[in-house]
Amino acid sequence: MKNFLKDVQKHLLSGVSFMMPVIVAGGVILAISLLGANQTATGLVPQPGIMTYLNQLGKAGMTMMIPVFSAYIAYSVAGRPGLTPGFILGFITNSTVSVGGVDVKAGFLGALVLGLMAGYMAQWIKGWKIAKNPTIRSIMPILIIPIFTVLVLGLFYYFIIATPFSWLMNALTSFMATLNGTNKIAFATFMGVFAEIDFGGPVTKSVSMFTLALINEGVLEPNGIFRVLVSVPPIGIFLGTLIAKNKFTKEERENAKAVGIIGCLGITEGAIPYAVKDPKAVYPATILGGITAALIAAFGNVTCPVPHGGFIVLPVVGNKLWFVAAILIGSLVTALVLKFLKKPVSQEEVSA
Amino acid sequence: MKIVGITACPTGIAHTYMAQECLEQELKKRGFEYKIETQGSLGAENELDDDDVKDADVVILAVSIVIEGEDRFDGKPILRVPVDRAIKDTANLVDEAVLLTK
Repeated sequence: MKNFLKDVQKHLLSGVSFMMPVIVAGGVILAISLLGANQTATGLVPQPGIMTYLNQLGKAGMTMMIPVFSAYIAYSVAGRPGLTPGFILGFITNSTVSVGGVDVKAGFLGALVLGLMAGYMAQWIKGWKIAKNPTIRSIMPILIIPIFTVLVLGLFYYFIIATPFSWLMNALTSFMATLNGTNKIAFATFMGVFAEIDFGGPVTKSVSMFTLALINEGVLEPNGIFRVLVSVPPIGIFLGTLIAKNKFTKEERENAKAVGIIGCLGITEGAIPYAVKDPKAVYPATILGGITAALIAAFGNVTCPVPHGGFIVLPVVGNKLWFVAAILIGSLVTALVLKFLKKPVSQEEVSA
Repeated sequence: MKIVGITACPTGIAHTYMAQECLEQELKKRGFEYKIETQGSLGAENELDDDDVKDADVVILAVSIVIEGEDRFDGKPILRVPVDRAIKDTANLVDEAVLLTK
């Protein structure tokens, strides 16, 4: 069972991995198209001409992200035969379809589940005894697997999971969209503690998957908070090496420059070596910095439409000043806690 | 002793290459022959060709996502671990790989 869950996690991460560039392309182009857009009763309407074309291109990217996600989950499970059902089923879960007269859309959650099912089903069919027969063998991948998986799982979607998943997704979206007061503080604190607890590892990627699901539904604040947080540990550690020179070796201080720079580019992983070496100081520091940053970002309603963070996405984030303030103040808190908690290293190590 | 391997992480910009570096340093330190392919967001780099694989005693797959061309290693002893272990626990990982060749 544990192995199965590990496999599932790997498949989901594979899907995220292939989806990432699609959302970056879609999200950035979409955000550009909304520069100078007109505020109307039905939302932002881009300027006519090139901005409208960009808007359509961006939306195409955002529409493709979900089918790509489910297709590559299925690919990770079953290899090539997973792609066809993955794409088609992902597309249908992310479209609004009428089921018994009610409009439903299962979105990201539906795509996640159907992507896995498509993969496992394709994998299962590959193992059928009849598939070893030389004549049948050649038509398996081009006829039987694609038709069978799409037909069975497609109908399964309409009759069994479309409606409950649509409810679930709607409930989640409206809950996140209307977060305020205590709930908002609780949510931001939660994000601050857990979003970067493993500095870009599996926990981070799970949180990322959740905020991406909400982007797809047009709720951009959770992703805004998250994209602030990716920069806090690395920049915080860099600042820490500046204000507490005697508590880091020369090598650590040199490396911290690179860590700080890639932190500004939205990559957290540079913090890992520091956390491994001195977890008792680094974890409290990054967690407290994270909570601070998350609360500031939540308070300032920072939004982000793309799955990447750090100053590099500044042109497309909403409430830019709050975004910058959240990163800087959060990092500063991290640095101060580091200064306070870290033990001095020996004189030779400081200068050597 | 010749060890080949592949590293791959979900984002494909940081862990993949850190894991490669850690493995290469450890293998170099032990005086082994080695070649580590990365499958990051740019696709496969430092790719293992047929000769590399043929001569390898053991294969380390430090991957957290699906990778390309895994069938290249059919019949070889394979040690499969999440990409993080290659960074945090490199020495033990290589020990385990060496055990697999016996």
